[in-house]
Amino acid sequence: MSEVAIGLSGLSKRFRIPLDRSTSLKYRVAHPRSSSRYRDLLALKDVSFEVPEGQFLGIIGHNGSGKSTLLKILARIYAPTSGSVVIHGHVSPFLELGVGFHSELSARENVYLNGAVLGLTRRELRTRLDEIVGFAELDSFVDQKLKNFSSGMQVRLAFSIAIQVNAAILLMDEVLAVGDASFQEKCFEVFARYKREGRTVILVTHDLGAVDRYCDRAILFERGELVRDGASGEVTGYYRQTVGHRSDLDGRERAAVNRWGSGEAEITDVTYLNDAGVPQKVFSSGSPMTVQIHYQVHGELQRLVCGLAFHRSDGLNLAGPNTLSGRTPITPPGIGSTGTVSYRIDALPLLTGGYTLTVNLYPQFGEESYDYVEQGFPFRVVDDIGRPGLVDLGGKWSASQASN
Amino acid sequence: MKAKELIPRLVRRGAPAVALVAGNVGRPAAEEPSTLDRQYNLVRELAVTQFRLKYTGSVLGYVWSLAKPLMIFAIMYAVFSRLLRVGAGSPNFALQLLVAVVMWQFFSETTAVGLQSIVSNANVIRKAYFPRAILVIAATMTAFMTFLINFALILVVFIPLGRLEIGWQSLLLVPLIVELYVVALGLSLLLSTLYVFFRDVGYIWEIGTQILFYGSAVVYPLGFVPSKIQRLIVVNPVAQIIEDVRHVVVTRQVPLSGAVLGGYWFAPLLVTLAAALLGLWAFLRWSPQFAENL
Repeated sequence: MSEVAIGLSGLSKRFRIPLDRSTSLKYRVAHPRSSSRYRDLLALKDVSFEVPEGQFLGIIGHNGSGKSTLLKILARIYAPTSGSVVIHGHVSPFLELGVGFHSELSARENVYLNGAVLGLTRRELRTRLDEIVGFAELDSFVDQKLKNFSSGMQVRLAFSIAIQVNAAILLMDEVLAVGDASFQEKCFEVFARYKREGRTVILVTHDLGAVDRYCDRAILFERGELVRDGASGEVTGYYRQTVGHRSDLDGRERAAVNRWGSGEAEITDVTYLNDAGVPQKVFSSGSPMTVQIHYQVHGELQRLVCGLAFHRSDGLNLAGPNTLSGRTPITPPGIGSTGTVSYRIDALPLLTGGYTLTVNLYPQFGEESYDYVEQGFPFRVVDDIGRPGLVDLGGKWSASQASN
Repeated sequence: MKAKELIPRLVRRGAPAVALVAGNVGRPAAEEPSTLDRQYNLVRELAVTQFRLKYTGSVLGYVWSLAKPLMIFAIMYAVFSRLLRVGAGSPNFALQLLVAVVMWQFFSETTAVGLQSIVSNANVIRKAYFPRAILVIAATMTAFMTFLINFALILVVFIPLGRLEIGWQSLLLVPLIVELYVVALGLSLLLSTLYVFFRDVGYIWEIGTQILFYGSAVVYPLGFVPSKIQRLIVVNPVAQIIEDVRHVVVTRQVPLSGAVLGGYWFAPLLVTLAAALLGLWAFLRWSPQFAENL
């Protein structure tokens, strides 16, 4: 079981991007030594790792990080520039569904054609044709031309053919991005089956939730380099944090900020911390989050209350906790000093979306604010299992049944 | 226990094929087709698909494949034989011309389709792996099938009419057709490789085909030109094959290429071999880089 399915060592891939897109002979003749008219792009830099047989490996990273290039090298679509690739076992030769599909051909003919591209013979496909169209739920459309199919139907057909490939090592590039929810559920069932069968699967995806659920291990690529390799939860967690750090939430998500107040206290910073106390802007649903409000005192304060309001990106007020209702009185510090108020949420109940926070420092209910920032400090929540709705109500299911 | 069983049953009801699919995975290795079987299967599927797609939406369908060389023959016959009286001295020149046109059509069509075969399948190449030569072979096979049918039709129609000279020498037709396919495939491999990197090759080959057409003694008998030039022409394998086929099925009064070349009878074979090897070498050398250059 611990046999190595894939071994990579020192793998590099360089692309030569022509600076002018003319691939004409005239140009080559006129500029015989024109190699300088290319820009080199190092898509993979000295990548080494091994994948044991039966492992479910997720490969994650930003667009252009080299993860798809790696998959193409494993599929033999690209040849590596240097380094070695050792593969034990038959690798599925495709990265995408429906390669070679032709819209002028019928579903049946496309099964034979696409199947052949995936290495299946007409004989094999003929015996499984019913099963393929059945799984795709296209039984009554077998002899219709593909161009009359909806894109959803085409994807279902393509997936049904693809799962017929009997390879020990399967490569999948963003398969999950297609199809509706019920079809994705089917994909997951097939993944679960592959896992039981002990096949080696390499999945390149942006769906961190799928990596968490199905992969034993994850590898993170950044600019062609392997930066993280470990248990899937650990690597996706790290990726979520770094995403929050680097990609400052875009302007669309940043609400217009209104601010007013007497100025006797000033909000200097608001940060969101994860469980480890590290600031980030993207959180998983159900993970702990601590809101930290930093302020500075500029005047004599008798009393100080800190109030928050959580808004959905469209402004809907979701919750309005404050230190008064939370029975946590703040002793106002003297002029010139600073202070911090924290609000910890043990398990963030919000689901996927963009959110903003209103922060209000005021003496007591009904009096003028010291400092009021309305709908600022954006953060994002990602629900890894993609539940619909706004909040996780935290309810517990139970059911009982009577046997007859 | 009861609740546990409920889950798989429900899943199966929603998607009946899941259970069936699972059954396929454990197929014994013994009934697995070999890699060669699978590659042959792909060539066949691609060739059949192209053949089918070619005539999709046309009323006459395959008839066009026959009509086209016949029309070209009719034009050539009218212009060169009747108007310019080019083939007047050569016996049975109409049939010589017909046979030559059908073979020429095969050669020019195969190399034109073969040249495009990699670039036009860019999408498949970028997303799936299989030996790339399969695409070229499939493309040339489609034209080859058409050619074989057309050529067979000529034999079927004109042998009973007694217009062809069939004898033991006619058996040479088989190696000659094989040679024609080898030249066309070798050139297709070379051209399709070059075309990935230099799109000018498309235009160059179009002109090259025209030059070869008039340089191949299709529309005129070889004897029409001075004997020194005859030798030069016949070194080109396409001209040699056309000449030899004329000899073995149309009339023995057309000399074999070997008679024209004398001691150098093997020269066109060397050219064929060189074209095939060069094409194969270039293709194998550069095909790993196709995906990233398309």
